[in-house]
Amino acid sequence: MDRILPIITNNLDIYLSGLLVTLQLVGISFVVAMVVGTLVASFRIAPAKLLNWIGGFYVETFRNIPLLVLSIIFSAGLLRAGVSLGKMSAASAALGLYTAAYIAEAIRSGVSAVGKGQIEASLSLGFTYRQTMRQVILPQAFRTVIPPIGNLIIAMIKNSAIVAGSIIALDDILKVARIVNSRTFATNEAFFWAGVGYLLLTIPATIIVRRLETRFAIKR
Amino acid sequence: MRGNKRLWIIALMMVLALVAAACGDDDGEDGDTGDATGGETEEEAYEAPAGTPMADWQEEGSITIGVKFDVPPFGFENPQSGEVEGFDVDMGNYIADKLGVEAEFIEAISDNRIPFLADGTADLILSTMTITTDRDAEIDFSRPYYVAQGRILVPEGSDIQGIDDLGQGTTVCTALGSTYEGTLGEQAPDAKLDLVDAYSECFEKIQNGSVDAVSTDDVILTGMVIQDDSLQIVGEPLTTEPYGVGVANDETEAADFLSETVEESFDDGTWDGFYEEWVGQYTGEDPQHPSELTLEDAYELFPCVETC
Repeated sequence: MDRILPIITNNLDIYLSGLLVTLQLVGISFVVAMVVGTLVASFRIAPAKLLNWIGGFYVETFRNIPLLVLSIIFSAGLLRAGVSLGKMSAASAALGLYTAAYIAEAIRSGVSAVGKGQIEASLSLGFTYRQTMRQVILPQAFRTVIPPIGNLIIAMIKNSAIVAGSIIALDDILKVARIVNSRTFATNEAFFWAGVGYLLLTIPATIIVRRLETRFAIKR
Repeated sequence: MRGNKRLWIIALMMVLALVAAACGDDDGEDGDTGDATGGETEEEAYEAPAGTPMADWQEEGSITIGVKFDVPPFGFENPQSGEVEGFDVDMGNYIADKLGVEAEFIEAISDNRIPFLADGTADLILSTMTITTDRDAEIDFSRPYYVAQGRILVPEGSDIQGIDDLGQGTTVCTALGSTYEGTLGEQAPDAKLDLVDAYSECFEKIQNGSVDAVSTDDVILTGMVIQDDSLQIVGEPLTTEPYGVGVANDETEAADFLSETVEESFDDGTWDGFYEEWVGQYTGEDPQHPSELTLEDAYELFPCVETC
């Protein structure tokens, strides 16, 4: 580890560009995951059998296929079928849709965690289904799902390395470390800085999640 | 129900027993073959001076050689037999025979082959590795055993007909950790590089159209053309790439032994046989014979960039 400083100072620009690529991938995937995840969760808890089935099908498909396989399907697979998504879109589609399946399950479990009695009580007080959901169930569910969703986001940041490192070959922070390693053979140093790069993303994410948790916690 | 459950447990135990037995057999076999080879070839085998890596390998009865598994015609898995074959594999076996030991082949990609030597995962590397001064700072090389040339591969009907056409807006695929990272950076600075782990990924990418060209050694590109004749090699040679056998750093005796062995393969005609079998019959071209190049010439072709 005697080249620890020269490795970062000589390669700072490409490490930063790698960090930006990872950040971009994680940012787009986060939006995809939250939007699709919420949608799928609402399908799963909706009082309609067909929607339940569609939601369940989505979750079981995307949760049970390895992320690496999804990455290959969304890049090389679609290209072979004549659909060109571009590297970043293919990567964020794979990562976002994969994470969405977990987010959907987290939201669903949050909703189920609110006692059934509350739905019954609310409906019997004359609230409509929509009002019950928006004013009674979802605010409570939201609070319970913050910690698991936080975990999923952190896992997603780390999973970005799998997607970018697949055949998609995005120049993310891990790739930068591998390029630096292949040029300098300073393996420990090159990957040390990649680790630091991931911490720069995961630690702020952890802090934000913790803030949200305290803010929405029930004071007992 | 209860009876059913018991049946399952018995079945499970039988499977486990079979697996255990199979593993046991494997271990036994490995030991046996190692001993047998050592015994049979002992008389004609090379006598390694004590304390050298060669003596260690002979004592173990085997050497681990890192080769490519996805680069026809140098190192690739034969789809029928599942065995790894190719020029590098034959050369590796030739070296192992010289020592009178068994050669075990493991997969070494461009990016991990040098760490493999440093951490002892592999004893030798024969994986289409160009001799460079930077790499020499990390490992030791034998004399060149093959001379390849850098070329460009494009799909049929491509506008790209040479290195000068690789300008703004074009994407070229090559392997991470290969010499082409540097070569393309110098000769085609405007082209975007798509760096992947293995040349099979470049092959996939040029077939599905996500890159415009692949640039690497002519023999690797020839392997791709053999698999898909809608691809073609264009332009003048970019570089001369002498391949060397890699061994851990500061193993000068081992490097010397490897150089001698390689030279013997030139003298006894073995090398020509390998060339004809793996390259000549496909290209119909005469080789640029590696005996014309020395290790020093090779270092001059790729002077140091990072490690000096």
